[in-house]
Amino acid sequence: MLKVKNIEAFFGEIQVLRHISLHVEAKEIVSLIGANGAGKTTLLNVISGLHPSRNGSRIFMDVETRGLRAEKIVALGLVQVPETDKVFNPLTVRENLELGAYLRRKDAVPFGEKMKRVFELFPILEKRQGQPAGMLSGGERQMLALGKALMGDPKMLMLDEPSLGLAPTIVSEMFRVVQSLNRQGKTILLVEQNARETLRISHRGYVLDMGRIVLSGTGEELLNNEEVKRAFLGKDYHQKWER
Amino acid sequence: MPILNPNIETMSRKELLELQLERLQIVVNQAYSNVDFYRKKFDEAGLSPDEIKTLDDLRRISFTTRKDLMDNYPYGMFAVPLRDVVRLQFPLGMYGNPIVIGYTREDLKMWNELVARVMVAIGINEHDIIQVAFNYGLFIGAVRFNQSAELIGAAVIPTSIASGEVQVKIMQDFRSTVLTSAPSFAIHIMETMQKKEMDPKTLSLRIGLFGAESWPEEVRQALESYFNIQAYEIFGVTELIEPGVAGECMAKNGLHVFEDHFLPEIIDPNTGEVLGEGREGELVLTTLTNRAYPLLRYRTSDVTSLTSEVCPCGRTLARMSKVLKRTDQMVCVRGINVFPEKVKEVLSGFEGVGPGCSLVTQGKRGMNDHLTIRVEASPGILQAREEEKTSLRQKIQLAFRRAVGIGVEIEFVREV
Repeated sequence: MLKVKNIEAFFGEIQVLRHISLHVEAKEIVSLIGANGAGKTTLLNVISGLHPSRNGSRIFMDVETRGLRAEKIVALGLVQVPETDKVFNPLTVRENLELGAYLRRKDAVPFGEKMKRVFELFPILEKRQGQPAGMLSGGERQMLALGKALMGDPKMLMLDEPSLGLAPTIVSEMFRVVQSLNRQGKTILLVEQNARETLRISHRGYVLDMGRIVLSGTGEELLNNEEVKRAFLGKDYHQKWER
Repeated sequence: MPILNPNIETMSRKELLELQLERLQIVVNQAYSNVDFYRKKFDEAGLSPDEIKTLDDLRRISFTTRKDLMDNYPYGMFAVPLRDVVRLQFPLGMYGNPIVIGYTREDLKMWNELVARVMVAIGINEHDIIQVAFNYGLFIGAVRFNQSAELIGAAVIPTSIASGEVQVKIMQDFRSTVLTSAPSFAIHIMETMQKKEMDPKTLSLRIGLFGAESWPEEVRQALESYFNIQAYEIFGVTELIEPGVAGECMAKNGLHVFEDHFLPEIIDPNTGEVLGEGREGELVLTTLTNRAYPLLRYRTSDVTSLTSEVCPCGRTLARMSKVLKRTDQMVCVRGINVFPEKVKEVLSGFEGVGPGCSLVTQGKRGMNDHLTIRVEASPGILQAREEEKTSLRQKIQLAFRRAVGIGVEIEFVREV
């Protein structure tokens, strides 16, 4: 569904992504894990057209999206849920959801139907639909952000740190939601620091380190990989022959 | 025709090449950051891992040779710390420093799958009883058949190097349906039966899976017609995985290389130039997923050619032709590799013999089952009494058995 090849990205003169190639198949959950500053968020931003890439190609459903504006990419069905500033605080929950559908207003699925689906997934949003988003708790805001993205009826969702700053019980609820969205047919590219939970629900994953992909495998393989543990905890040996 | 992993084995060439590039970039990143040998190699060539943007860019990396592996003995080529390694292997019979190959748990899992892919491709299933008559001591890949058979639910009888008669008795009594061994050993079993005028119809064999040495088509025909089986080949490279790099399918028109894990190239062994499809040359392999022991452009010394035409079996994986030649002087005797360098090394432990020597192999049907080493000897030895010569000969033979693992004949000559 998504094929990324040799992407390079910079912040000024500093290179943050180095020839990244990866792919996501339809109906997969693929995760990108790596330490802070590894380039995960930048990679999502490049794919969704929010950050320029210097080289490489990014093909979404057979369309080269390089050079396309971000809203055009959303209209193709590739929607990112950002890490922060996910919702518009002064607007009500309902208005936020309406905004999410804006770019896909000519869709086959009627607006009301989409709203209904979101409320089924997140009953709490239905209860709070008249309240300003700024009044919601962290977990509720995260759900609203996801709901807003779903209003665009995306074919593929890119989630940036959906568990960030959430209480542990909400975190597992969040992962359950991601998994159930996937079961309903959504393709998901997930960026997370919470590697364990993420890999547990992922079909496949890539490990990013200093702007490079250094490991790939199935979720289970990566979960059991010593290298992955080191990617988060740092090198735990001095000599290769240590046991 | 049955396929174990159709997602991969029948993937479109375009998608396969994309997967290879993705994995190649990862292995290059790993090799560069974790293996000093490769970091130095890249830095000295002024090459950055970031410059590998296409599969063709691979050609910018220089070859890795057996000598590199020996020079970096023991753990210099490892890309992971030893604590991630669950298997260490070293092939016997190597000269100089041995080669130590490490595998992580994931590497072994991949290896298991690849051998199982070959088993499934040639029609082995959970109803089969596989008799593994490889030398478990000298051929380190033998144990892989056990694990891969378990993966597909077949039963395994590791008969190892039991004598021909015992092999036949077990085949009869246990109703083995698959025989896997070095082809020369299968011929030996066949001859044992012929000598005793046993009826091959008393066996339940239906498939033969052979490898670890080169065997011409006429050997396949002889085994197929005598045992009334379908005989197939499995191929491997000791320094990567052996067996399991490639294997035949029922179409018997070449060995499918498992390109999702190994990237093959064919080069001119003299110039290093990459040769196109169909051209014969030295097989060079790059590991795409090996975690513990990544090898970039490893020169295998095996001579073959490649084609990526789709096979009637439906697999899109490229096929290599049977390996019948080597680019080095190594000889293979009953499935055991013998390097002339190793022979010289053994001879250096004795006074008055060597270093001049030549390896003379004898065998039937293009395979070797006897090795005679003709050794240059001093006049003192040549003129010595017969008992003295015999005693020295026996000492040298014992040294070879210890060093290489097989019995050889020794002949003293003035010059070779």
